[in-house]
Amino acid sequence: MNALEVRGLVKHYPGVKALDGVDLVVRPHEVLGLAGENGAGKSTLLKALVGLVAPDKGQILVRGEPVKLRNVVDAADHGIGMVFQEQSLVPNLTAAENIVLGSEGAAVRRGVYRWDTMRRLAQEQLDKIGSNIDPLARTDTLTFAERQMVEIAKVLRIEERSQHPPVIILDEPTSVLESKEIETLFAQIRRLREFASVVFVSHRLDEVLDVCDRVTVLRGGRSVGEVATAGAVPRELHRMMIGSTGSDDHYHGNAATPVVSEQPRLSVRGLSGRSFQDVDLDVAAGEILAIVGVHGSGREDVCRALFGAEPTTAGEIRMDGAKIELPSTRAACAAGIGYVPAERKVEGMVGSMSVAENMTLAKQKARCTGPFVAPRKQATLVDRWIRRLSIRTPRRDTAIGRLSGGNQQKVVLARWLVGGDVRLLLLDHPTRGLDIGARSEVYRLMRELASSGVATVLLADSLEEAIGMADRILVMSDGRVTAEVACPNGGKPSPLDLVKEMV
Amino acid sequence: MSTSVAIKPPVEPAVGKERTRLTGFMPLIALAALIAALTIADPDFLTQRSLTAAARTAAPLIVLAAGATLVVLCGGIDLSIAALASLSTVFLALWIPDLGGLATPAVILVAAVIGVLQGAAHVLLRIPSFIVTLGGMSILSAVALVVSGAGTVRVVDDSTVKWLDLYVGGYVPMSVMVAVIVVALIAVLLKVTPLQSWVSATGYSESAARLAGTPVDLVKIGAFAVSGACAGLAAVMLVSRQFSGGPTMADNLLLPAVAAIVVGGTAITGGHGSVWRSLAGALVVTLLRVGLPIVGVPSAYEQILYGAIIVVAVALTLDKSKVSIIK
Repeated sequence: MNALEVRGLVKHYPGVKALDGVDLVVRPHEVLGLAGENGAGKSTLLKALVGLVAPDKGQILVRGEPVKLRNVVDAADHGIGMVFQEQSLVPNLTAAENIVLGSEGAAVRRGVYRWDTMRRLAQEQLDKIGSNIDPLARTDTLTFAERQMVEIAKVLRIEERSQHPPVIILDEPTSVLESKEIETLFAQIRRLREFASVVFVSHRLDEVLDVCDRVTVLRGGRSVGEVATAGAVPRELHRMMIGSTGSDDHYHGNAATPVVSEQPRLSVRGLSGRSFQDVDLDVAAGEILAIVGVHGSGREDVCRALFGAEPTTAGEIRMDGAKIELPSTRAACAAGIGYVPAERKVEGMVGSMSVAENMTLAKQKARCTGPFVAPRKQATLVDRWIRRLSIRTPRRDTAIGRLSGGNQQKVVLARWLVGGDVRLLLLDHPTRGLDIGARSEVYRLMRELASSGVATVLLADSLEEAIGMADRILVMSDGRVTAEVACPNGGKPSPLDLVKEMV
Repeated sequence: MSTSVAIKPPVEPAVGKERTRLTGFMPLIALAALIAALTIADPDFLTQRSLTAAARTAAPLIVLAAGATLVVLCGGIDLSIAALASLSTVFLALWIPDLGGLATPAVILVAAVIGVLQGAAHVLLRIPSFIVTLGGMSILSAVALVVSGAGTVRVVDDSTVKWLDLYVGGYVPMSVMVAVIVVALIAVLLKVTPLQSWVSATGYSESAARLAGTPVDLVKIGAFAVSGACAGLAAVMLVSRQFSGGPTMADNLLLPAVAAIVVGGTAITGGHGSVWRSLAGALVVTLLRVGLPIVGVPSAYEQILYGAIIVVAVALTLDKSKVSIIK
């Protein structure tokens, strides 16, 4: 009997059909992969499985019995639990408190915590996944990967609620993990399979193929296919996801133009700050420079420092030969520097504000006549960029939060282009959380900008991305630049070459 | 959704649009409903005299709330407005004999400067605006007591502020005209300049605003300056009615001003709202204050009704689709 089955699930949102009769089968003790682009209906489906979304039509069957899931607790009673993409732990509580939170059971007697019992309960959960995290450690002292383990341990408590093997859903668990941590997580998933069924969702097809037994592909709110992972290749899956063969040249490498420039656009000497020391780097006009490094290498802070958002203690920054000071983000904007932050939803955009307002936020001059906003000028400008970047939005005054991730990111990028004065773009994980199609469009846009003479510093989401996009790669480690690797089209280094330099 | 295989862009749902438009008018609807209810309770309420009286009472509150709305829109709060207005009444009463007509702009300027100081303390020392202005409230109250000698300062020759207590066309109090003009000025200034974007962005998401090069610090200090100046103007209105300044004269306007802002539907968490909403909110709050006794609600029940109506009004006017977290 199937551990979990979904039949013909339909969910309408005003104007969109998020789920259009999706079918899904999860067998006992298997790892099922769920693949699909943004907007394919993955998140709605997952939410329906844990009772956060009430489907309009269709059935959810747990071990053959049709069930109605009203909320997360209800789902847990049926043995379904989810590890959310955005972590849901309370940072100032201990790991143990988080693990029992919401289902304290024996850990609370007469309204009072019994710490010994709680630690024992938590330890039991941690033992299940073979983790050696101290249950009494405060959650905010743990690393992201450790916190994820705590979440898995927490979800596993649903085992106590039903006698049957649980179904554990992992929503994009790898998106912020380093490769070593991903390995650990995969080992964990394989271990989970012994006593549970796992639904694994990821953007990265190689991962899906690596860890799953079977993959169900969603497109446009339907299940469009199922693949046994043994012997499957990413390209085949990709084709099912987008409904056609993707471009072979994902990174648009053919559009790359050789850099010819005597004087570097950006020249940094001896830049030091809280988490980086003595950083030298040059970027020429039209060049894409990627900085790679593990977590804690300081590359994010260097990027922020170049935008005036992180204080520096020493060093010199020159733009086109002229020395500049960056005491504030405003100064950086004025100097023709643009920055796309990694946390799009929190730092990149203002979700409740319109596409037009978000697009013109940094370059107010572009929509103003004198000190006043000129509505017609703004409309023309915004519409032009909506067309040029093919941003899919109902109207220019639609709230940006309602667009898909890829379109949001294009608006955030457009913010720096509308002024026509951007000379240097700092892109901090510009493709994080985007699906393949949207990624490809962002890559194309980066190429276009580079060929128009914009210098780019890229903190890539993966080594492959860095290698695919960059003309040159800097390796950072412990706050210092440790190596520089040329990365011309036709002479790309392998990821292994870079990893050697990183550790 | 951004692949070459185009999925139709989500169509803006008609229902959601209707609802947004409706919540935009909610403060006005609440105001109309309140007037209707008061009229039903006592048909005599809807006379020109009582309406004029209510409007006159509302004027200083409208100005106070409008100024503080800017700070709230930026995601902060200004608790010092009432104490600053009290202090300003004292300054005005003390300065009129020497400065005459210049006393009014002088008081408004000083109040604005005090606002700037608080804003700068909030921004530069990175202290929450709640704390800065709580301290400010206490300090300003104490200064008012010291400066005034802990007593009312009479204005003997009130010719320079008397104009505010006149009536336009015999019916509309001048102070109300001024209050509406101030609200309109702030609203237009926001609307036609990038300030609207800057204020909203700062209020919704300060980090995003900062990373887009928005002059967040200046915007916030500016909001406090306007809030201070408005407190100064409210003080002028109070003095023109009472012919005196007093160290606690405006103190009881703090909570009504905050109530006016939230009843108008401005999110206390920042970003969403407008000064027009606060104008409607100030009228609702004032009508409740003066209206409930007029229609004969016993004073013991007045507070209960007041509290209940405020909460219900906020439930109606706040557009929850625009505010993700309600704290």
